[in-house]
Amino acid sequence: MRKLLLLAVVCGTFTGCANLGVKPWEREVLAREDMQLDANALDTAFDDHIYFSKEGASGGRGFGGGGCGCN
Amino acid sequence: MAENDLKIGAALAAATCSLLGVATPATSVAAEAPSKWDIESAFLFYGESDSRVKDLSLSAQAARDFGDDRKLGLDLSVDSLTGASPNGAIATGGAQTFTSPSGRAVYSTPAGEIPLDGTFHDTRFALNGNWSQPFARLYTLNAGLGFSSEFDYQHIGGNFGITRDFNQRNTTLSAAFAYAQDTIKPVGGLPAPLALMPDAVNDDEDGRPPNRLGGNDSKNVMDLLLGVTQVLGRHTVMRVNYSYSDSSGYLTDPYKILSVVDPVTGDLVGRTPAPGESGPTGVYRFESRPDSRRKQGLYAEMRHDFSGKVLQVGYRYSTDDWEVDSHTLESRLRLPLGESSYLEPHVRYYTQSAASFYQYSLANTAPLPQFASADARLSEMSAVTLGLKYGRATAGGNEWNARLEFYRQTARAPADQLIGNQVGNAQMPDFDAVILQFGYHFKL
Repeated sequence: MRKLLLLAVVCGTFTGCANLGVKPWEREVLAREDMQLDANALDTAFDDHIYFSKEGASGGRGFGGGGCGCN
Repeated sequence: MAENDLKIGAALAAATCSLLGVATPATSVAAEAPSKWDIESAFLFYGESDSRVKDLSLSAQAARDFGDDRKLGLDLSVDSLTGASPNGAIATGGAQTFTSPSGRAVYSTPAGEIPLDGTFHDTRFALNGNWSQPFARLYTLNAGLGFSSEFDYQHIGGNFGITRDFNQRNTTLSAAFAYAQDTIKPVGGLPAPLALMPDAVNDDEDGRPPNRLGGNDSKNVMDLLLGVTQVLGRHTVMRVNYSYSDSSGYLTDPYKILSVVDPVTGDLVGRTPAPGESGPTGVYRFESRPDSRRKQGLYAEMRHDFSGKVLQVGYRYSTDDWEVDSHTLESRLRLPLGESSYLEPHVRYYTQSAASFYQYSLANTAPLPQFASADARLSEMSAVTLGLKYGRATAGGNEWNARLEFYRQTARAPADQLIGNQVGNAQMPDFDAVILQFGYHFKL
């Protein structure tokens, strides 16, 4: 029963996703540089390194650049 | 090959134009020639209040598209760190003296102040390379290598990932794996966990200072990332990542110590250096952390366009077996100013719980715990960042930008750990920092 429910949820999610989105000719705004999820990559890299050095949690967005600089 | 295509394209355009009897738009064809490199470069200054850490950093991210979505990315950065960092000891009513990390000198802290170790300065180089290319229709593979080097720390790592597009490329699933091996070579050697800070040894004495185990150690980090990117509409895109990270090996900070205090008064236990020697005037122990850490995180980010203004909102939850649970909420709003410039306010809020082995101080009579750290980065704390970025496009299509941010970190002293006189007097090493960045984005 639980597996069936899980299957229903997974199928539902994918069907849901299939209804979301746009046609290829509707991507004018999404194609803009400021709408890219990886825009500001350099700012993000600087910030991730600073917060990695100063806070107890890190990561989540992608992989870090490595190193410590932990003072 | 891409250049050949272009030449053919230009020839076809010229042929079409002459057939149609219009002037050949030579300049516009030339303008469409793709640049070889897309480069983001920036200079960053990071400075903390009270003469604490200062960092000057130069960084460049270069990307080149070789056509057919085959892309090379190269990131290079250089950091120069100076200043003073809290050593983990508590502030006391009298001046305090400590043996420096090298074990060969001493430094002092005035009465009433959080002890800072000002003996470090470091330069860090980091280089990362990444290649990505389509693998089959709808699939993209990427692989990368990274390396970084500091005086006392070296990192080498690799990563591999795959993405697949679904649903007319409105949905992208991704999976990525990274592995890193780091080597830690602390100044003065690796302190024995929870060992007492000894007197300084003379500079001319050979060998390792007392209470040190060896010269270096290593740590391995394995990361896994699973992500979904979803287009929600013509103006909205979002992604959700699940991340798992497993670190093992030497995870202790070799430069952090704990104050040993009287179990009733909570005052630092005094100590006298051996005759003729210089050394600590109080009892301190080196910290000790577990040799493994498993972290899990959930990260969600959304971008939405409101007729040219772009709102970006991100949230991260992370939890680990050190019991550091954190929430991060972050937002940017990009506001166009006319045709060629923009203003972008930024706000970030962070909060975390304390690690299970975080200790404000160690009571003198208690049996020693297996693990203990007074590092404020493992305490219960929160932080706020407020920033503003301004960017302006040049006539040639490049962009320069400037960013100014303020960061404030506030830690909370753990009320249930405070002893005697510490109650009401406990100080945490809170700080403010300013981040100033100048960037230039250009194509070559």
